[in-house]
Amino acid sequence: MASRHIGIVLLACAATLVPAGAALAQAPAKPAQIVVNDSGGATQAANRKTFYTEFEKRHGIKIVNTSPVDLGKLRAMVQSGNVEWTVTEIAGPDALLAERSGLLEPLDLSVIDLSRFPAHLQKRKYVFPKSVYSTVMGYRSDIFKSGGPVTWADFWNVTKFPGPRTMQNSPIEQLEFALLADGVPMDKLYPLDVDRAFRKLDQIKKHVAVWWTTGAQSAQLLIDKEAVIGTAWNGRYYNLIKEGAPVTMEWNQGAIKESAFGIPKGAKEAYWGQRVLGAMTDARTQAAYADIIGYPGLNLDATQYTDPKIVPYLPTSPVNLPKQFWVNLEWWADNGAAVHERWARWILQK
Amino acid sequence: MTGIPDSPGTASARAPAGRRGWWRRHREGAASLANAAPAMLFLFVLYLLPMIMLLAQSVEGGTLVHYQKALTDGLYVQVLVDTLLIAAYVSLACLLLAYPVAYFLSIAPGWWATVGIIFVLLPFWTSILVRTYGWMVLLGRNGIINRALLDSGLIGAPLPLLNNTAGVLIGMTHVLLPYMIFPLYAVMKRMDRGLLAAAEGMGASGWQVFRRIYFPLTLPGVLAGVTLVYVLSIGFFITPALLGGGKVTMVAVLIEQQIRTFLNWGFAAALSAVLLTATLLVYLVLRRALRSNMQWN
Repeated sequence: MASRHIGIVLLACAATLVPAGAALAQAPAKPAQIVVNDSGGATQAANRKTFYTEFEKRHGIKIVNTSPVDLGKLRAMVQSGNVEWTVTEIAGPDALLAERSGLLEPLDLSVIDLSRFPAHLQKRKYVFPKSVYSTVMGYRSDIFKSGGPVTWADFWNVTKFPGPRTMQNSPIEQLEFALLADGVPMDKLYPLDVDRAFRKLDQIKKHVAVWWTTGAQSAQLLIDKEAVIGTAWNGRYYNLIKEGAPVTMEWNQGAIKESAFGIPKGAKEAYWGQRVLGAMTDARTQAAYADIIGYPGLNLDATQYTDPKIVPYLPTSPVNLPKQFWVNLEWWADNGAAVHERWARWILQK
Repeated sequence: MTGIPDSPGTASARAPAGRRGWWRRHREGAASLANAAPAMLFLFVLYLLPMIMLLAQSVEGGTLVHYQKALTDGLYVQVLVDTLLIAAYVSLACLLLAYPVAYFLSIAPGWWATVGIIFVLLPFWTSILVRTYGWMVLLGRNGIINRALLDSGLIGAPLPLLNNTAGVLIGMTHVLLPYMIFPLYAVMKRMDRGLLAAAEGMGASGWQVFRRIYFPLTLPGVLAGVTLVYVLSIGFFITPALLGGGKVTMVAVLIEQQIRTFLNWGFAAALSAVLLTATLLVYLVLRRALRSNMQWN
């Protein structure tokens, strides 16, 4: 009896082992669909038309989308072991925190080809640099007819360029802009001199009519003339300009950073998640994405496929790129919590 | 609130009857508790249990450092006080606006009442974001209101209606008004109008009828409406961020930041616990004040 039992157990083991072994050799069984979480809205629409369609065409697996991007939810999913997302977008400054907190699967660089990406990005372990965007200044061209501000010192100069301003309600980049206005050169920004930045911010505070929270708001404020000079992500200004709004954007001293994607630790279909990111490295698809939304990918070959009319509106164009500085996300991951608290205190001061 | 009917007169008469008397008094309550069991289980698993788990995180490591910070750090104390004050202003504004509206709806003839309720419900069903952007169009420096006032020569410079506390109060009051109107309407609709006629018949003036009969009878609706609006106000997030121009900080924003940006859930849980306690205290004080008034009848 006992030996027969053992035989059955062994058989059962063998039966489960065989398909598992086969799966390791080839691709695992295809799920009907996988979930990709991104920031929604216009970004999702552009992703859908380009990267998601490309993946679906390559692998025959449907991508279902959720939004918004939420680091807290990512942590909750990973900790509870109930990971619903196969791939998720991660907001710029959060990516390092996600990596350090062990919330991401390692990237499979045999699937995600980074060989045509800028050299400093080729050895990425957890965070996939999907595209870049820049926070730049913009102004109403109908109010500043003979030219608007071109440096942060101009932005701070309320006698030469009068009128209400708008900036993002966050210390990230506002501190950098303040230091640039105070004469710190772009390549000497980090580590940030926080005290000096807040002293400079004191000067502009009462001229900032609105500290914006959402991307849509930053653009709307210029349209409504609640502010005549402001900051926004380049894609927001690109949209306004495309629609014919009297708005000019200035690339000089813009804050460039990447928009990242990753695979949550313990994602069930991580194998296919790697291939979603793989589709995102494709130069032609990146070019198509930039044509729609103004945010270029980081594959250096993408530019040659991009509509030449759009290239001047891309932060990575050869003319624009050297004018900007890369936001040091590492510095913010190390110092963010304390500086955010100080920012909140500073906002409350009358 | 517990569903156990409270009848002081009969209860005290039966009190000496011992355990059997206790059971008889509470039999009805136990039966309604049994009926409510599925709902209670639902609330326990999906609401109470997660809340206990959240609160447990606030004392992780067996220390009270998170509470110490939440209760002594000037930033968090000030934002908490600001939040409670804004919630109080919004509740008061809602009450003042909703009371006459609910009264009109309760006495209006059928067709008018239907139209009125539709006007209350329509914005209620519209996305908060849409309504908030709508207010931005109306209240802005170049908004419809300021432009009309400027063009008519009534004011020389645009009024600061947006991107400050005034904008936040206007937007939140608008969003939360239906939560005040409906409880008031329910109470007013059910009211026995014979009582008002009787008071008038006894020679009471219009004001006396309102002050001594009508208003006290609507107090349960006032309590329900104020509680709803107050509690919802405290958690408000996107409306203050957009209409306050980033200058009005609500405590929900700071809690969200701890959860989503810094992954410091222990501190977020402590902030939430402090907020919950403050809310419950306000509610208890309010209930006491209004209850004593209600028992006065």
